[in-house]
Amino acid sequence: MPPSDWVLLSYRVPREPSTPRIALWRKLRDLGVAKLGDGLVALPEDARTREQFEWIADEVEQAGGEASIWIGRPGSRKLERALVETMREEIGTEYRDLIALATEAEAAPSKRALGKLRRRLRKVKRRDYFPPPERERAEVAVEALAAAWHRVAA
Amino acid sequence: MAPGGGMRWATRTGPHVDRTACAWLIRYFIDSQADFVFVDDPDDVPEDATPFDMRGVELSHHDGDCTFETILRRYNLDDPVLWAIGRIIHQADLEDDRFDAPEASGLDALMRGLSMVRPDQEVLDLSAPLYDGLYEYLKRSAVTGRDPA
Repeated sequence: MPPSDWVLLSYRVPREPSTPRIALWRKLRDLGVAKLGDGLVALPEDARTREQFEWIADEVEQAGGEASIWIGRPGSRKLERALVETMREEIGTEYRDLIALATEAEAAPSKRALGKLRRRLRKVKRRDYFPPPERERAEVAVEALAAAWHRVAA
Repeated sequence: MAPGGGMRWATRTGPHVDRTACAWLIRYFIDSQADFVFVDDPDDVPEDATPFDMRGVELSHHDGDCTFETILRRYNLDDPVLWAIGRIIHQADLEDDRFDAPEASGLDALMRGLSMVRPDQEVLDLSAPLYDGLYEYLKRSAVTGRDPA
């Protein structure tokens, strides 16, 4: 299979003021982008990722910076595998954190803790483009917390 | 209900939650004769059309607002029920937890799904009655102060 299409965002934002810089950094983190270089990030291409980059590019320009969006393919399958592996590794860490928190919360299950973990799981899943094995384990752990809470509440 | 018009409005193909809600808003509150065209590239927007929910145009995301909210502001639509819908669209489109709108993720899934199985124009026609209903529902809940039955 040849490498697939990726959408790339190239951007440059002024150092000051720092607020838009930080907002941008947060948005890119929430999107789960792969960092290719200084001011260059990528995501697997689809209508949603492209749209997200477009809004971000707009905001960069409004903040006095420069941004452009490109569609491209890694030069080799090896490069793409490495990229995917890095992303899978990073998202896997987030799932492992969730599993630890869910397991810990099971000792004294609460609706609040359950709501919080479910929201967090949803957010992590949204930026998971190449699901690692930990994903299913995290889902199971959070649902186990739900079951534990229902037993306590019943 | 909406004042005259008969203008052309352009947006990107594959309308999801923000664009379907904007089209409904335009047709019912701004231009009852509105004609919608869908384009792949901003360069394809016809000269006589007003673009919305596209990069770099006036009726789009601005200062953390989604396009629906931008249109409410630009056209001075101050109906609180429309702003209540705006909060749901904002959360569905931007997912930034700025508002507590539990309806958002369901609405988002429905609109995404609809655009997978129906052509763009039809998505607008099919989603409009849903927004009519949402408007009525939120209006009643504002009047009675609780979830209407």
